Amino acid sequence: MVLRRVLLAAGSLLSLTVSSLAADLVIAMPNWPSGQASANILKLAIAEKFGLDAEVREQGTLLAFVGMETGEVDVVPEVWRPNFDDLVKRYGPEGNKTIVLSQHAVPAWQGLCATSDAAAAGIKDVSDLSDPAKTALLDTDGDGKGEVWIGAETWKSTGIERVRANSYGWAKSVTLVEAEEDVAMAAVDAAVATGRPMVFYCYEPHHVFKLHDVVRLTEPAFDAAKWTIVSQADDPLWISKSSAPVAWGPVEFNIAWSDAFARKHADVAAFLDKVDFKPDEISAMSYALQVDRKAPADYAKEWVEQNKDRIEGWGR
Amino acid sequence: MMAKASLSRRSVILGLTLSALALGIVPSLAATEIYDSKTRKWVKYDRATARKMFARNNQPPEAFRRQVVKFRTAEKPGTIIIDGNQHFLYLVQPGHQAIRYGIGVGREGFGWAGIVRVGRTAEWPTWTPPAEMVARDPNAAKWASGQPGGPDNPLGARALYLYEGNQDTIYRIHGTPEPWTIGLDVSSGCIRMNNDDIVDLHSRIEVGAKVIVLMQGAALFKGV
Repeated sequence: MVLRRVLLAAGSLLSLTVSSLAADLVIAMPNWPSGQASANILKLAIAEKFGLDAEVREQGTLLAFVGMETGEVDVVPEVWRPNFDDLVKRYGPEGNKTIVLSQHAVPAWQGLCATSDAAAAGIKDVSDLSDPAKTALLDTDGDGKGEVWIGAETWKSTGIERVRANSYGWAKSVTLVEAEEDVAMAAVDAAVATGRPMVFYCYEPHHVFKLHDVVRLTEPAFDAAKWTIVSQADDPLWISKSSAPVAWGPVEFNIAWSDAFARKHADVAAFLDKVDFKPDEISAMSYALQVDRKAPADYAKEWVEQNKDRIEGWGR
Repeated sequence: MMAKASLSRRSVILGLTLSALALGIVPSLAATEIYDSKTRKWVKYDRATARKMFARNNQPPEAFRRQVVKFRTAEKPGTIIIDGNQHFLYLVQPGHQAIRYGIGVGREGFGWAGIVRVGRTAEWPTWTPPAEMVARDPNAAKWASGQPGGPDNPLGARALYLYEGNQDTIYRIHGTPEPWTIGLDVSSGCIRMNNDDIVDLHSRIEVGAKVIVLMQGAALFKGV
């Protein structure tokens, strides 16, 4: 984990030094592929429709929300919910009204997945993770306890997955691993290649479903009464104070922009409000960037050229 | 170069019978097992077995020999993926394939996972033992100021130096004069491969190649 922190520190230094002063607006770009593609698509579409120069800046959602309040950031391409509901509440119409969410939301899903070898070994439901005889199959470091990747260290969902594992009780018998997404996905590749079972946090739309035969673990249905997630912004000990022994509720993500930006560029805000990415488009973005190795900017250029009518429609 | 079923590393899942599951028996998953075609039995692959089998076959068991395997991944060709737990190093190839090599990894020290890159490489590298090794091991002390490259050098024929950004992490992927240690968690060392394999890997990679060390079972540590 030391290594990861060093890499993160290096990344933030880099983003500070490359920040541009000349851009008309700043679009925050997250570290997952579809968000990287859509940030670049929005940049090009806004340039084409409004002649504005947008800077795409690598930034996670939490910092991007703070940036929208201070005027450093104007647009965030994917705000996942309920992951960031606390931020939406704090900064949205119910809070200090510094951000606006698009009306259109892309339906999504998140939870736990098993490779087909894990499913064949009997790990099909989240309750199977509380069975040490089954989770021993997921052991990869020889301590007799299985490992499950719960997400990247910087993701909000990772904290919530930890809450869920604690609430279900399986955190006691399984080691929860946090690591960069590329490391986890390579681990899935290696597990599939050698027929070893693996269970991991997954979200959809995502290219892993096209690359491998993975199945979602079944779970008790979402129950709002049982989903008690303490706001991270209010309490640093939010993980230990939260409880969620159920599946994620309806998941979706929206585009967000700052209220100050909307007042300055009402036409662009109206345009963003009409952007209507579909789940299969988001999945294709993820696959193009990760599997076909397309650079986000190149992919965005192709996408914008191939979707001129759509973009035209958003501008009407 | 494809592995035959007769001498492959037993997959954990195959080794676990349903009855064992029903009885709640949890076998030791860390131990490497291989199928000995001579005795027709699965045997624990430890140091003694490794030495004995290597003396007999003059090469590591088939699973740990260089081979092309099916490998679906989003990583681009030229990327190295290290699975310390299974003692495999994958070099991603086009067409959802990879070249798989057997490796020896460290047994103690700290484990880490992450993404690094090949910062530089060297042919027949010089080995400089770490200070603590010089202090405890007279053989290492002899080379306190560096052992020149050669067939007895612990770094073997080639070394790939792993960097984080522009900084040397002190971790290396290197050859070994002890090819029987491939497939084992040896007492000290970074990622070791037999000399033929490290020469092959070295010839195929480019400086700057992405190296992903999987989070599980990756017990790498300082020095060799």
